[in-house]
Amino acid sequence: MVEKQLKVGIGDMKFSRGDTQIITYALGSCIGITFYDPFLKLGALLHIMLPARTDPKDVKVFKYADSGIHETIRKLTAFGMVKNRTIVKIAGGAKMFEMKSGGNSDFGNIGQRNVMMVKKILMEERLRISGEDTGGAYARTMLLNVGNGDVFIRTVGRPEKRL
Amino acid sequence: MRLKSYEDMNLQDLDVMKEISSIGTSHAATALSKLLQKEIRISIPEVSILGYEDTVERIGEIEEVVAATLVQMSNEVNGLMLFIFKLDLANAVLGKLIGRNYESFQDMDDLDYSALEEIGNIIICSYVNAFTQLVGVEIDLSVPSSTVNMLGGILTVPIAEYGYVTDKLMYINAEFIMEGKKLSDGLLMLPDIESLNSILEKLGIS
Repeated sequence: MVEKQLKVGIGDMKFSRGDTQIITYALGSCIGITFYDPFLKLGALLHIMLPARTDPKDVKVFKYADSGIHETIRKLTAFGMVKNRTIVKIAGGAKMFEMKSGGNSDFGNIGQRNVMMVKKILMEERLRISGEDTGGAYARTMLLNVGNGDVFIRTVGRPEKRL
Repeated sequence: MRLKSYEDMNLQDLDVMKEISSIGTSHAATALSKLLQKEIRISIPEVSILGYEDTVERIGEIEEVVAATLVQMSNEVNGLMLFIFKLDLANAVLGKLIGRNYESFQDMDDLDYSALEEIGNIIICSYVNAFTQLVGVEIDLSVPSSTVNMLGGILTVPIAEYGYVTDKLMYINAEFIMEGKKLSDGLLMLPDIESLNSILEKLGIS
């Protein structure tokens, strides 16, 4: 079976219907969010980098959790997605470097702030998170199989995990 | 003109960074060669302002496992220094230092990791020392922190840290030549934009 594979870069989003894989590589402090409507076999993978868009003129909507999630929902809704049957899963938000004494303690907490913001926005949008793999100190590659909604997480030194 | 982001740097600014970097990296090579008791030559570094994906591509593969040492700068220059070891450089260094060689980073133990962290730290410190003397600024460095993980994930740290200001990184790349073997290093120096402006001002260009 030859499947189409779409790659999602940092601060970007891709969506598709049917037999496609959507993948995003090496999520560090960033968060990957998959949206999947099983009835339509419609799926999206969003890769956000920062919690909130502070400059409304900034056109990179998918870079931020708030504008990224809103825009993804808007697009998918236009393609017929219905929120209450949509399955949402999130991964990432790691803290890659543990700072010891002497450094700025606030540094590197961006992952955690991203997780909090993503959860807040999803809750406001009344989307329930049905799978989560966040935190820790390692990068994750996230893959959404749009054919059946499976989400896989790949990390260094651990077996691939189904979310 | 005050810079708003890395990509505003013109050719002259980049040339200056390259000059400073070549002195910085040669200090780093001297420190490393003392430590390893080996002659190490170093090529003139390239300084590039790159986006996330281009930086990943220049260094290696996005899921490639690398070791990285990170040090925070504070005082007159605020920002980050990140040194990246690919497996060949890590092996060359560990081979000389503790006589070990590995197929992959996962086979290493804590002793190897802390040796790499320390060497990354020595390289960063000697680079920054040369830099402070040349530019005439005081820079304090934090205790190093390190990780072994996917290159792409490691590079999200600086890109997210400055994500509200810029989508670019300053990548300084030189080649160490040790016993006829070329080993590429990857050093990222990321002063925040205010610090970058004051560096360029101190050097009389801006």
